Amino acid sequence: MDITAVAPSTRTVPKGLVPAGLVLGGTLLSLVGLTWDIQWHSDVGPDTFFTLPHLFLYAGSAVSGLASLVVVLMTTADTKRAKDVDPIVGGRAVGVFGRTFAAPVGYLISGTGAALFLVYGLWDQWWHGLYGFDAVIDSPPHIGLLLSISITMVGAVMVFAVAREQRWGVYGVIAASAALLVFSMVTSLGLRAVPAAFANPVSVGTAFFSVMILFTAAHALNRRGGALAVGVSVAVLQAVFWWFSPWAAKVYADATGLPLRDYADGIPGLPNMIPMCLVFVAVAVELLHRLPVWIPGAVGGAVIAALVPVQRVLVHGGSFPVNARYLTTIVLAAAFGALAAMLGRRFGHMLRHLAPAKENSHA
Amino acid sequence: MRKTLLGLLGTAALLLGLAAPALAYEPVNIVHTEKVQAGPYNLTVGFSTWPVKAMQSLDFTFAPEDGIADKKGKLTMFYGQEEVDDSPLARHPRKREVWGLDIHAMPAQGTWTFRFDIDGPAGPATGELKNLQVMDQPGPPMGLSWAISTIPLFGLIAFIVIAWRRTRPANR
Repeated sequence: MDITAVAPSTRTVPKGLVPAGLVLGGTLLSLVGLTWDIQWHSDVGPDTFFTLPHLFLYAGSAVSGLASLVVVLMTTADTKRAKDVDPIVGGRAVGVFGRTFAAPVGYLISGTGAALFLVYGLWDQWWHGLYGFDAVIDSPPHIGLLLSISITMVGAVMVFAVAREQRWGVYGVIAASAALLVFSMVTSLGLRAVPAAFANPVSVGTAFFSVMILFTAAHALNRRGGALAVGVSVAVLQAVFWWFSPWAAKVYADATGLPLRDYADGIPGLPNMIPMCLVFVAVAVELLHRLPVWIPGAVGGAVIAALVPVQRVLVHGGSFPVNARYLTTIVLAAAFGALAAMLGRRFGHMLRHLAPAKENSHA
Repeated sequence: MRKTLLGLLGTAALLLGLAAPALAYEPVNIVHTEKVQAGPYNLTVGFSTWPVKAMQSLDFTFAPEDGIADKKGKLTMFYGQEEVDDSPLARHPRKREVWGLDIHAMPAQGTWTFRFDIDGPAGPATGELKNLQVMDQPGPPMGLSWAISTIPLFGLIAFIVIAWRRTRPANR
């Protein structure tokens, strides 16, 4: 039988796409679980270890973690057999525990995040045993869990950045960066623990992470439209979750026979933490690309922090005082935005160093 | 392929089967009550743990003697003299015949006051649960808890510092 005759029609999946896709898919599961869980607590309430939103959160880290583990074990096996390791799969391999394991650096990070999620899950269980089943998103163990997932999301950006010369790598960097940005809006709530009477640390944190991730992705891709693509992707996630979160909470409540809370306003919790102005900030970043990065960074940071209370008023109603605290927050967010842009540019260059692309072949 | 599907289905069935007992939501067990007189309304405030400790979540119930059916109300919380929060009195999600707060934690140790504004058939009235003592938080100091919980952040920063040094423009 002439098997070569069928070969040209066989479509092969690009090398590295499957594990990268699994890591990204896992992070998206985590994101869906988080927005659903936040909405569940505000609209319905009762909690157990095994609610469906919680299972999404656990499954997200499990999928990302197992995909990362498989890549590390396969790379280790190839290294032991002295086979060539293609750095398109997660970047150059580094030795772990001496040279016991050879781990592509992107998957090392995503897998470490998933492993930390397990450890912080135990810490969270202990905490709930002591403090009760508090639905406090910014308790220390919850922030530990959110940071662990964030590390997996950073790993997801890395494994796609390695393949940025290919179309799937570009799309992956955009999607993974958007997921990380959205997720960071919740992690920023941990800044409520920072005692700062003169400014709002959460608004400053929101501005800092938004600007930093926009610039990181834009400089990793090093092409016009990178920041705008991330901004638009974030807006799409915001729109989808705006519909999904209250809908999923209600469907799950109906399925489990639980009533909605009296006075539940149904306002989407997580999507409303994302600055609606981000897409305009991304446009500004694109338009001001010839200026030193700290200028669009400062502008972006200030705009995001200035509009946080405006968005709150638009969604919830009421008013907000234009006082010294508000103005200090904007000034601080501008300073942190400038820093975030400079860091983001540098992180983008660091991501480009991961890649076996042509311009870095001498690195 | 069929084996993989069967394996996945088996895992899902096992997971959900084991999860089923854990899906039962805990009933509201009141272990301590206090009485509040709000004009003509006799209100019983119930606590699912006692004494109340800062940051430790518990169920609160607010039960007028003759039910909540024809009444509305508002709960305002004061920490010392400072108003911290006000919200309409809503039915407890797991005990729908009374008003309440589910898995709610008092944020700080000290003296708290709950003020109830109730409007019903006998007209509007106000009553207060005064001198609610909230004890110190259990567990390790918050500084230690935050230090443990932010290890991933500092680990990530350490990784970034190493990567930064290895990718300096001069090293290219």
